[in-house]
Amino acid sequence: MYTIELEKVRKSYDHFVAVDDLSFKIEQGAVFGLLGPNGAGKTSTIRMMIGITAPDSGSVRVFGQPFDRRCLEKVGYLPEERGLYKKMKMLDQLVFLAELHNMPAAAARRNAVEWCERLDISEKLASKVEELSKGMQQKIQFIAALLHDPDFIIMDEPFSGLDPVNVNLLKDVLLDLKKKGKTILFSTHRMDQVEKLCDSICLINKGKAVIQGDLKKVKAQYGKNNVQIGYEGNGDFLQHNTLVSSFNDYGNYVEVRLAPGADPQQLLRMVADHSRVNRFELMEPSLEEIFIDVVGKANA
Amino acid sequence: MHKIFIIARREYLERVRTKSFIVMTFLIPALMLAVTVLPSMLMMKGGGGTKHLVVVASDARTADLIRQQLLKLSEDQKNRPASNSQMERDNMPSIGTLSVDADTDVSDAHRSALTEKVKNKQLDGVIFATKDALAQRKVSFLTRDVSGFITNAAIERGMNQALRRDLLKSKGMNDQEIDKAMLNVDLSPQSPTGTGNPQVVFFTVFSMAMILYMVTLLYGINVMRAILEEKSSRVMEVMLSTAKANEMMAGKILGVGAVGLTQIAIWALMVIVPSAAGAIAFAQLIKGVLSVKVLVYFAVFFLLGFTLYSTLCAAVGAMVNSEQEAQQLQFIVMMPMIISVIIMVNIIQNPTSSAALWASLFPLTAPLIMFLRVALQSPAWWEIAISIGLMMATIVGLVWVCGRIYRVGILMYGKKPTLPELMKWIRYA
Repeated sequence: MYTIELEKVRKSYDHFVAVDDLSFKIEQGAVFGLLGPNGAGKTSTIRMMIGITAPDSGSVRVFGQPFDRRCLEKVGYLPEERGLYKKMKMLDQLVFLAELHNMPAAAARRNAVEWCERLDISEKLASKVEELSKGMQQKIQFIAALLHDPDFIIMDEPFSGLDPVNVNLLKDVLLDLKKKGKTILFSTHRMDQVEKLCDSICLINKGKAVIQGDLKKVKAQYGKNNVQIGYEGNGDFLQHNTLVSSFNDYGNYVEVRLAPGADPQQLLRMVADHSRVNRFELMEPSLEEIFIDVVGKANA
Repeated sequence: MHKIFIIARREYLERVRTKSFIVMTFLIPALMLAVTVLPSMLMMKGGGGTKHLVVVASDARTADLIRQQLLKLSEDQKNRPASNSQMERDNMPSIGTLSVDADTDVSDAHRSALTEKVKNKQLDGVIFATKDALAQRKVSFLTRDVSGFITNAAIERGMNQALRRDLLKSKGMNDQEIDKAMLNVDLSPQSPTGTGNPQVVFFTVFSMAMILYMVTLLYGINVMRAILEEKSSRVMEVMLSTAKANEMMAGKILGVGAVGLTQIAIWALMVIVPSAAGAIAFAQLIKGVLSVKVLVYFAVFFLLGFTLYSTLCAAVGAMVNSEQEAQQLQFIVMMPMIISVIIMVNIIQNPTSSAALWASLFPLTAPLIMFLRVALQSPAWWEIAISIGLMMATIVGLVWVCGRIYRVGILMYGKKPTLPELMKWIRYA
């Protein structure tokens, strides 16, 4: 059973094609990462899933049915463009948004209080939104997306602007929801978070899917031809090297992509000749590496 | 429908709870009172205490004649019973008590002496009714208060009466005959359908139309602001993930509209309830001037007109990104309403003309004009039905169009749309 199925979905604004024949499916209970650089069409895609806009062509199926507005009661959406009524009291605001999702006011109130306790902001229930810090507003928006107990949760950059403690808190909440069988769609360009959370991904660029599938398989596809090297000394020799196809300096270490057919042992010897090696690890490419590689190449 | 209600309720409660709503509710009547009632109260009171005037004439008889008439005038006013007798319409507001001296010294020296006295506030006014002046019917009245038109008009009328009486007397009429000759005609128009005095009906209906106009103008702008705020607060993306754009639109319009109606209801109660006299006067008004039918139609056309223009303003709010941009468009949107007010007087005089018919069917002018026609005349039922039907259809259509403009407008923020772009927005799925 798929929570969402996009089939050759297309959306263009004037002469600009935002989403170009995009197809993917999200299995029920999965955490799915919708990735892509800025302007790739992530938000346009999400908007079509929840009926804010309709696709020019292609089909959207939600919960196994052709899209129908009634299914929206079971969808929770945290948009990237955050917004709350500034003058409204926090609790009223949460109840209002839950009521719009057809939840009775009493139940909404009860849930809102519970959620606020869980996210550690219950002392601010009676405050107006404008009196709250940005991080708190962020949490309220997060609660607003979950309050009506949706089966499909869409999170567009959920962690932006939060400190690591709160990121962890929200991450735990999401994992907990996953355990309960909820489907979560994550839209972000923060690859480290995706690697931690997602089961499968779809990387889009310029409205088209570039890579998609199970995260582990995607990474395996790229093979174990990445090397992380920690060294002391001059690393210039890595730059114009026949063994290296690409190279990324992170300061404390470098991540090197081996040229096809290159022998890692040969590289190790070369590095040892030029510098003092602290670490030399052969590994799967990080998602970020794949992202930069794919998107960089496509946009070059 | 349920979502429209939830959105409208939020809008209503949040607005009614604000301080500005409470302040406005009490400040506006206070201001209205200050602007309308106070000046006329001051005017009615005239100068207050006794005014000391001097009549300068070439002969004692003429001077005394005018003196007597002016005294009679001020006496009559004081004793005027609070009934709508003929006297009441004849006379203007009170000029206060007069004390008048007669004087026959027409020399220039005396004239400047009197002028000096007026200047020094020893006298309030001097009337120079010399023989020449009377012959030319051009009398100068020396007063510090040259713009006190009520006093001036009363004095003028007093002098006219004095001179006419004198003329009639010289033709050999006795006082009774003269009184009779001086009586004014009281023209009282009667409508073939209603019972009320058409003058009062006219005034009442005109005031109601003005209320309709002003409230629509005022709250239309509020709706526009509300939509604009929503756009800038960016809440709508979450809202749109559950409600349709036109549900949001309808909810906002209803919510802000209900706030306006609440405020008007409070004002009406403030006028009617506090005094038993107010309540009785209101009951009298309905009985004498307004039929229940007119009141019901007022409510209907008020609500329709209000909703129609709120929707138009909502569309403006949806189109623009800032209040400045909105103000320019707002004027265009309000144009038909303003035109209605301009042609209103014409329509009142000619409620059966074909211009009146078309203006009462055209949805943007219908709220005012059809109400006027219903109140003053009895248009055919189908005319009323078509008018109401067209307005309702326009409202529904506009909500739909606005919803579309709104949705695309908020999703593609940035520059101001051109007309072709707007058309495209409406077509966007």
